[in-house]
Amino acid sequence: MAQEAHSALYDLLAVRGVSRRDFLKYCGSVAAALGLSETMAPQIAAAMEGAGKLKPALWINGGSCTGCTESIAQVDTPDVATIVLDYLSFNYFETIMAAGGEDAEKQIEETVAAGGYIVIYEGSVMTGQDGNTLLINGKKGTEILEHVASNAAAVIAVGSCAVDGGWVMAHPNPAEATGVQAWLQKKKIKTPVVNLPTCPVNPEWIVAMVVQLLLVADFDAAKFLKVTPMVTRTVDCKVTGESVDLLFPKGIFGQTIHDNCPRRGHFENGEFVTKLGSAEEAMNYCLYKVGCKGPQTYTNCPVVRWNSRASWCVESGAPCIGCGGLNWVDNNAPFLMRMSDMQMGGTIGNVQAGTAAAVVGGVAAAALVAHGLGMKAAGRVGDGPPMEEMKAYDRKRGAKKGGDK
Amino acid sequence: MARTVIDPLTRIEGHLRVEVEVTDGKVSDAWVTGELWRGMELILENRHPEDAFWISQRICGVCPISHSHASAQSTEQALGIKIPNNARIIRNLIEAAQYLHSHILWFYTLAALDFVNPVNALSANIADTYALAQAAGTRVADFGAVQKRLAGFVENGQFSIFSGHLGWWGVGEEKHPGYALPPELDLIATAHYLEALELQGVAAQIIAVMSGKFPHHMTSIPGGTAFVPTEQKLDDILFRFTRVKEFIDTALIPDTLAIAPFILDTASYGAGCKNFLSWGVFESADMDPYTRSLPRGFIEGAKGLSVMEVGPEMVTEDVEHAWYDSPSGLNPAKGETAAKFTSLDVNDKYSWGKAARLNGLPAEVGPLSRMLVAYVDGVPEVKKIIDDTLGVLSKAAGAKLGPEVLLSLLGRIAARNLEAKVVADWSIGWVLELVEAIKGGDSAYFVTERGSDGDGAGLWEAPRGSVGHWMSVKGGKISKYQIVAPTTWDIAPRNADGVRGPMEEALVGSPCVDAKRPLEALRIAHSFDP
Repeated sequence: MAQEAHSALYDLLAVRGVSRRDFLKYCGSVAAALGLSETMAPQIAAAMEGAGKLKPALWINGGSCTGCTESIAQVDTPDVATIVLDYLSFNYFETIMAAGGEDAEKQIEETVAAGGYIVIYEGSVMTGQDGNTLLINGKKGTEILEHVASNAAAVIAVGSCAVDGGWVMAHPNPAEATGVQAWLQKKKIKTPVVNLPTCPVNPEWIVAMVVQLLLVADFDAAKFLKVTPMVTRTVDCKVTGESVDLLFPKGIFGQTIHDNCPRRGHFENGEFVTKLGSAEEAMNYCLYKVGCKGPQTYTNCPVVRWNSRASWCVESGAPCIGCGGLNWVDNNAPFLMRMSDMQMGGTIGNVQAGTAAAVVGGVAAAALVAHGLGMKAAGRVGDGPPMEEMKAYDRKRGAKKGGDK
Repeated sequence: MARTVIDPLTRIEGHLRVEVEVTDGKVSDAWVTGELWRGMELILENRHPEDAFWISQRICGVCPISHSHASAQSTEQALGIKIPNNARIIRNLIEAAQYLHSHILWFYTLAALDFVNPVNALSANIADTYALAQAAGTRVADFGAVQKRLAGFVENGQFSIFSGHLGWWGVGEEKHPGYALPPELDLIATAHYLEALELQGVAAQIIAVMSGKFPHHMTSIPGGTAFVPTEQKLDDILFRFTRVKEFIDTALIPDTLAIAPFILDTASYGAGCKNFLSWGVFESADMDPYTRSLPRGFIEGAKGLSVMEVGPEMVTEDVEHAWYDSPSGLNPAKGETAAKFTSLDVNDKYSWGKAARLNGLPAEVGPLSRMLVAYVDGVPEVKKIIDDTLGVLSKAAGAKLGPEVLLSLLGRIAARNLEAKVVADWSIGWVLELVEAIKGGDSAYFVTERGSDGDGAGLWEAPRGSVGHWMSVKGGKISKYQIVAPTTWDIAPRNADGVRGPMEEALVGSPCVDAKRPLEALRIAHSFDP
């Protein structure tokens, strides 16, 4: 490769002692996360290295805890400096940008006026108290979202809060929180929204989407949606009173945690942890009986893992709490309770009847998979055998898609 | 007299607005506004007490570990649970990893850009940079490559996260006089800014190994921990703690000491209310908050540098100037949260933050409070590092400086970095303590026995300051939940008597040499890590 074709990224990697071989390996992992063949790695590498003018982006914090920003700071493939300096030009990024006040606001105005940018939105959409539960520089959070989304090529809603309101919309939803796509639909803003749930978002997924958008789709949102396999999950938004078809990348959110869990073999053998932190946990037995929500939660956490692949929830001994699900707190709490116990009544907490039905679907899904239906080689995504769109048990009982309504 | 508004205040967690009144180049009054309300406390009501561990930590994505630990403690107190010793050590280690992560991220990613000028680094002489790094005892990087990368970035004309700030650094307008480091030091700091991003991530990986992921972790469940260490995992933790400690020893501390002589003016302002609270953090085997590694205590400024005992009953929250119509002055055990927005009016109500008070006084929380309490209490490691640092500062100032000088903006900045060093040193010892306990045959990590009803107050310390979770459990469900977060203390608005909160008070009297570019105010706000 000619010297002049090297980007700042290449220089940075060289400074840090990252070889070209390592870099290609990384591009392979990006490809895997995208559900592409790893043979795409050289093309991904070429696209990253050859980047000229950077595409602009705005990272907007709504009703957030800043956890998704923290999360993107944990990515090492590449690190956040590379993402914000060499992939995209983040003209606004509240938590890490140098400028503040007016100087920062001006960046939003100029970027929106110029167009051709993407928005990454973190946090819930705050509609409570007539929208004054989030007030920045005299503007309501909802107004800021409408403003930045209206002229954007696409919006990536990162973290469960941005997807549907997350924990903030849990009963009794005191601040009347909702998600980005629901709010834009209500405001008739047609900019496409791609949803990346979990609490916080896994940063590898953001990188995967950004690479997909830049490389495969040439920063064209329509093309992006066409070439990226998606699954749709429908929610009824109580805040807007509308039904919303949320769009999720299938390579990431197409299969349950249970489908790919390394502890799956113990589930098949009936080997369970019945007490947290016990001798059974030391043997990595299945956490289903202490409340694991892996069977009803559609993410590829066991494959991508967390914090630069250091570990993930189940590996550390904790049952999955289903933070990648919809209305995840109400649907999954009490977190330490087996799903089959939750449907028996009396201990359902704030879960409403409709929710309980969805939870039952999750249990059934687990049982069906245990009988060999929809089995899939653990640890693989993308090019494996196709998964059923809907488990047979759920179909019979009228659930919409899978166990996770 | 002129008003300057910073909104949004960037490089912090969450949404904050700062308004200052400037008279003759000095801040004469200040108002700090918390701009977001989500209602966590109401969401926790009627849920199973254990669930608060997972839900309540999501109030903050930068210090979720500390919130979850305060929450778990309140559940354990309410239900009469005593956690096993191994769980105590594991929680300390997870907490320590978050401290190291948070302090590194704060200094380099959030605060440094108030002092460091990456544009100025372009004129650094590379050989001189290596010489300076050696003289300062700070780690070297490929300074030439970093400078080249910076040059390419500036030439490219797309400034990404630096957009809108280059004028302050002297591009296209006059440089703000507050950026006063020599170019070689700017280059060193910029190189470490990039390296710090990697190291804060290594610290967070420790949490992932022991607790699934960061932010928002999984295993410190009321009753103990779900994490059962293996030899491999202990190794994964120890080598990462060692790596992070090395960075703190060879970059964070020497960088702090190298920059300090150029910002000595910050020792003369920014002290604030001079009341300092610490609930105490890093549990000792006897589970007594006064024997925690960083102990509990309160310093009341009017009474000088002496420490008194404190308890949860001394806390109240006033709402005269906050958007609530629940009663003012309630103790959190009886606290209420009824949101009611009116309008943003600094003469009336102007914040979503309640005004937390201790014995009726505003109280600063955070590393400065913890280090002062520990220093006065005579914690040896803290006493040594503060005395050593005062020695270095005295030399730079040409006068003997006592611990009083820490009651300043400079002190607040230094305290955070010195604390990182103390915690990094301790963390290695705590890994070995866990190894010894396991070798000795201790295999208990979690207890399942628990009562069904009771009241609890989990009082703990996040990297950014004191955190309290109050919980009442009736019939096996949470009947009341109240949180007093670190930022609730530091960004508190005025109370009924018009007494300013700690950040407001710290701003008053500080210089403001350029009212359009209020760099000093930014530094003070950032120094609280709000």
